[in-house]
Amino acid sequence: MGKRSGNKKGKDKVVLPPELPEIDDDEVVVSDEDVEFYSSDKRGADLVRKFDQKSIDRYVRRVTGKDEGEVERLYEERERKRQATEALRPRRQQDEDMEVDPVNALPIKTLQGKLVYNNAKKARREGNVSGIKSKGKEESADAKPSVQKDERKGKHKNQKGDSKLQNVQSQTEVPKGKLHSEVLEEVKEELSAEELFEKKKGQLAELGMAMLEDPESNIRSLNDMLSISNDKDQKVVKLGLMSLLAVFKDIIPSYRIRQLTEKELAVEVSKEVKKTRYYEYTLIRCYKAYLQKLISLEKQTNFYSVAVRCMCALLDTAPHFNFHESLLASVVKNLSSSDDVVRKMCCEAIRSLFINEGKHRGEATIEAVRLIADHVKLNDCQLHPDSIEVFLSLRFDEDLGKDDEEENEKNEKPKKNKRWQNKEVSKQLPASDKKKTRQELISKAREEVDADLRAVSFTLGPKERRRIQQETLSAIFETYFRILKHTLSTSVSRSKGSNVSVSHPLLGPCLEGLGKFAHLIDLDFMGELIACLKKLSGYTDLQDKSPRVDSLSVSERLQCCIVAFKVWRNNLEALNVDLQDFFVQLYNLILEYRPDRDRGEVLADALKTLLWEGKQQDMLRAAAFIKRLATFALSFGSAEAIAALITLKHLLQKNSKCRNMLENDSGGGSMSSLVAKYDPEAKDPYLSGGLASVLWELSLLEKHYDMSISSMASNILSMANLNPTQNPVPILNVNPLEAYKDLSIERELSKPQGKVLTLNCKRKRRGKEFVALSPDALEKAECLVDEDDLKEKLESHFAVLRGISENERLRAELNHTMSSINMYKEYKKQKRKNKKTKTGSKKVAKV
Amino acid sequence: MRPLDEKETTMVFEKLFKFTGPNLKHLLERPAVEGPDPEPGRYCLRLHKNRVYYASEALVRRATAVARPRLAAVGTPIGKFTHHGSFHLTVHALDLLAAHARRRVWLKPDTERSFLFGNSVPKSSLARITENTKSGDGVVVMSMSDVPLGFGIAARSAQDCRKADTNAVVVLHQADAGEYLRKEEELM
Repeated sequence: MGKRSGNKKGKDKVVLPPELPEIDDDEVVVSDEDVEFYSSDKRGADLVRKFDQKSIDRYVRRVTGKDEGEVERLYEERERKRQATEALRPRRQQDEDMEVDPVNALPIKTLQGKLVYNNAKKARREGNVSGIKSKGKEESADAKPSVQKDERKGKHKNQKGDSKLQNVQSQTEVPKGKLHSEVLEEVKEELSAEELFEKKKGQLAELGMAMLEDPESNIRSLNDMLSISNDKDQKVVKLGLMSLLAVFKDIIPSYRIRQLTEKELAVEVSKEVKKTRYYEYTLIRCYKAYLQKLISLEKQTNFYSVAVRCMCALLDTAPHFNFHESLLASVVKNLSSSDDVVRKMCCEAIRSLFINEGKHRGEATIEAVRLIADHVKLNDCQLHPDSIEVFLSLRFDEDLGKDDEEENEKNEKPKKNKRWQNKEVSKQLPASDKKKTRQELISKAREEVDADLRAVSFTLGPKERRRIQQETLSAIFETYFRILKHTLSTSVSRSKGSNVSVSHPLLGPCLEGLGKFAHLIDLDFMGELIACLKKLSGYTDLQDKSPRVDSLSVSERLQCCIVAFKVWRNNLEALNVDLQDFFVQLYNLILEYRPDRDRGEVLADALKTLLWEGKQQDMLRAAAFIKRLATFALSFGSAEAIAALITLKHLLQKNSKCRNMLENDSGGGSMSSLVAKYDPEAKDPYLSGGLASVLWELSLLEKHYDMSISSMASNILSMANLNPTQNPVPILNVNPLEAYKDLSIERELSKPQGKVLTLNCKRKRRGKEFVALSPDALEKAECLVDEDDLKEKLESHFAVLRGISENERLRAELNHTMSSINMYKEYKKQKRKNKKTKTGSKKVAKV
Repeated sequence: MRPLDEKETTMVFEKLFKFTGPNLKHLLERPAVEGPDPEPGRYCLRLHKNRVYYASEALVRRATAVARPRLAAVGTPIGKFTHHGSFHLTVHALDLLAAHARRRVWLKPDTERSFLFGNSVPKSSLARITENTKSGDGVVVMSMSDVPLGFGIAARSAQDCRKADTNAVVVLHQADAGEYLRKEEELM
């Protein structure tokens, strides 16, 4: 059939003979039966022999007629096909193996009679699983060196010159076929840690330099730097963070990158715009990743300070940039950190934020202030004072409060004008219609231009500025009032009986801040504020019998007085208000002052604000203060004394009637009021009868060892001889606070030489103090303590003495016994001698 | 002359308390300085012919020897009971109150005269005022040189004063030193 078809269809189509089954020669085994058959029946064999070889050939080969080349080509083709099928076969065989497997395994017959090839399948599955596992291992092994791969990329780019690196490269690249992890471990072993570190350092530096040279084209290396800072080595991570910080500091633009709207994305843009967009996009993505990394690292103790430093620096340089909210949040959180360095850094960052408002148009200020306020609220006012102190560096426009009124006035005025204008215009209207429209056009254009200018110039209009400042201010005062309230409530609850010692770390800076921003406080708050401060300063009104606040220290209470005074003075200049209660408080607090425990500056400041700067004192009170200050000057160190004396002099100058206290006439003469006798213990200056006393302290102070004090005292004493209207020549033209500071510095300088001396003086003065201001309860307690001390010292002293006498007695006894033993020994010796001599004499006698 | 009964005492003390506050204690407990005795004791209040006197115990002891119709006065008069039975402080109490008062008001020098003629104190003549003054408190009116001029009742608190109109009354007049001239007969 094949032949016929082949012949019919033409010469070009050659039909190849059917493929012979492939049987190796070895496999062709001629069986014995066949041999027998052929040997027994020769005829059959002949038949075989008779086969016409040619015809067979023709039949089998069918191709004999064709030319040789053609045939050969066909054979080659067949061969190729075969190979292809063979190549396919092994897989099929594997599959077949898998399929065959269950057949080999013993099946299990279930109750229903089904055969289940359980084991086989399991085995197969296990095999698969193990395969997957091994794959996973390989993957993880791949993942580990991924960093290294990145590094390699980096190397390719940047460090071709480094021969060492190239060695590493070749080492790592050659055995690509092997397992990555193994090789890498080897490499790691080869490279010591330091070399690695150095290498990465260099790499970072190169990348950073490249970035700074041309940030637009090299923006992608930010990613590389980020990946380096993911390193396991802490040093490398730190370096990476710092170098990224340096880069970001330089390349962050002065505007805020915003997300593109869909409209903008849809519009076809030029190549350059595309490039910038890409640049910005990459920058912002990297920045975000960097921030996230910082925030996550901040929680680890190792990276804490580095992360915070980076954040502070970023906040300092880019308070306007995207994500500044999260930066602010974490910086504010660290404001009250227990780590001194970190806290200082954060404070500095926030402070610079407040001072350089031009960088962020004041928006970040509000945010920071609000965050701090929330922070204080959350922590129940138990924070480090630094976190509030940063408010002190805030600045407000002086006319912040007044502007509103002026604005209103301005608004009102134009209204009147308008009315008037309207009348005018209505008269003119028919005539100047065209003019009007033209004017309108002009004004419209002007407004538009103004708006554009404002948008471009990056500054705020006065209105907006004021709004921001007002919001900031309200947040600040909210914080301050919260602290005051908290202090008040805790101290009251404490004095009620619960003996939990509550500290008020924030009160100091809070009071300071209130003093500073006193002129901006709204009048409506003032009444409450003053009442609160009065309670805090420890003033008790016997009338309402509220629990006394005792937990605050003397300096804090003095500060309360100062703040109250400042608040009133700054707000009510028109009306002179007399803060009598605070004066009473100061009068009593002077007694409670202890130089080592309390801050002298605060006292000097209080004297300055309340007495020195106060406009008018009334006579009785002034006299009481004069007397008390003189006593005070006698009792404490020179710095305190000079502050007191300066205040005293000022009071005497202002109240010429008090000068008869300088005369040696006790009883005060006709000026003495109802109180005829000076009462040093009186709580109320009005009832102390200061006018009835004599300032004998000044003549003692004239002999003070400190020149400045003695000269000041004599200067004051000279006032007695002058007319009431005359004032003596001023020696020191400074206020008490400055004088205090000057002298305390001097004292600090001269401390090493005269330490013993000052100690002695102090002791002496303490004694005087007891005489002058009959001791109150506190001092009594101190006295008791002293007695105990004395007792102990005496006891120890006498114990030593007793020991010595005991020792002497025992030694005497010892000597005595020793001597008696010696005597006894001598006596024995002599006895022996005597015996010897006796025996000798006997012998002699015998002989 | 007799000691005050309970009702009268409360009335007098209430009036005094308005001015002195807790200092009322000092007013009564301070050692006396009047009287011939070396130790005059303390001060006490006595009622004589509808007037209340503030006198030292030593003086009171001496005064008991004088017959009631012949006794003109003893110690310092501080006020009187009116026909209606209410108590009024008189200008004699001024020194006592000035020493113990808690709230004071200082007048501008050129407006003192108006007050001494018996007028109330408007805001315009106010030079200084104690900080925590509330309306209804008793205040002592002083000159700028700290001479007590009289006393009255605060019509508005220190803070309200700031917002108040210039002609608004700050202190309602009760007594002033000018009465020594104007009502010489009445006083004695």
